[in-house]
Amino acid sequence: MSPEMTEAEIRQIRTGILEKYAKVAVEGAGCCFKYPTGKEGMTRQGYPLEILRDFPPEILAAFCGVGNPFGLGPLYPGDAILDIGCGAGVDSLVAAHLAGPGGRVVGIDVTFAMLQQARAHLARLGWPQVSFQVADAEALPFPDNDFDAVISNGVFNLTLNKAKALQEAHRVLKPGGRLMLADMVLVAALPSDRQDQVANWYQ
Amino acid sequence: MDFLGLLLKAGFHRAALKRYTGFKSSPYTEGALFYGEKLVDASAQDAIRSQAEHLSEPLTEVACEPGST
Repeated sequence: MSPEMTEAEIRQIRTGILEKYAKVAVEGAGCCFKYPTGKEGMTRQGYPLEILRDFPPEILAAFCGVGNPFGLGPLYPGDAILDIGCGAGVDSLVAAHLAGPGGRVVGIDVTFAMLQQARAHLARLGWPQVSFQVADAEALPFPDNDFDAVISNGVFNLTLNKAKALQEAHRVLKPGGRLMLADMVLVAALPSDRQDQVANWYQ
Repeated sequence: MDFLGLLLKAGFHRAALKRYTGFKSSPYTEGALFYGEKLVDASAQDAIRSQAEHLSEPLTEVACEPGST
């Protein structure tokens, strides 16, 4: 978070993010992103073939991640996994598939409408080892040393206090636990007329 | 401090930007994969945080700000 950011700007960013993802929940992943979403996006990012083959099409269609965090290393049967900013729950369900019925997956998000989608997708699969709840990355409602892996896809760039969110991710990981994160980074300088725009956060 | 520095400061070791994903949400932003581990030896985490605090030069990787996803 920029130290000079005002309370009003912070509120504007939070509201903008919530409104954008409420729109995504209603209109689908294809409405609001400039990169491939849905099954095409997952295919391009190298998601496991059995996921692309076996998951219901409506679940695959909800993917709007910016990468494939599962490409960073294996998840193991029985792993406990936290998905920060789970959205419609696609990666949470991929994680549950990889960790198997003995695993535990929790997806958190701040957007209630996206969590409703995630719960609908979960109901389609009926996996008891998965749950979804409203929670903020900057204040995780979990004890220390609770998860074997923390995954996230396109979320930390939207997090105002990244240092706090990373500290929280570290706190809830077990010793030896892995953070596997896909996100957006700046690869070129913003034009001078856009550098201070609060709307950069959610457009 | 950039995102890799924040990972180190949070206590992660083997923190790295592993690769770019090719997905661009704007002409200025691209997807990337980051990795980090929580050390088994808690005492070593203090050394990692200290290392982050003493970074004199910015890391080459860019920070995840602003948004655009």
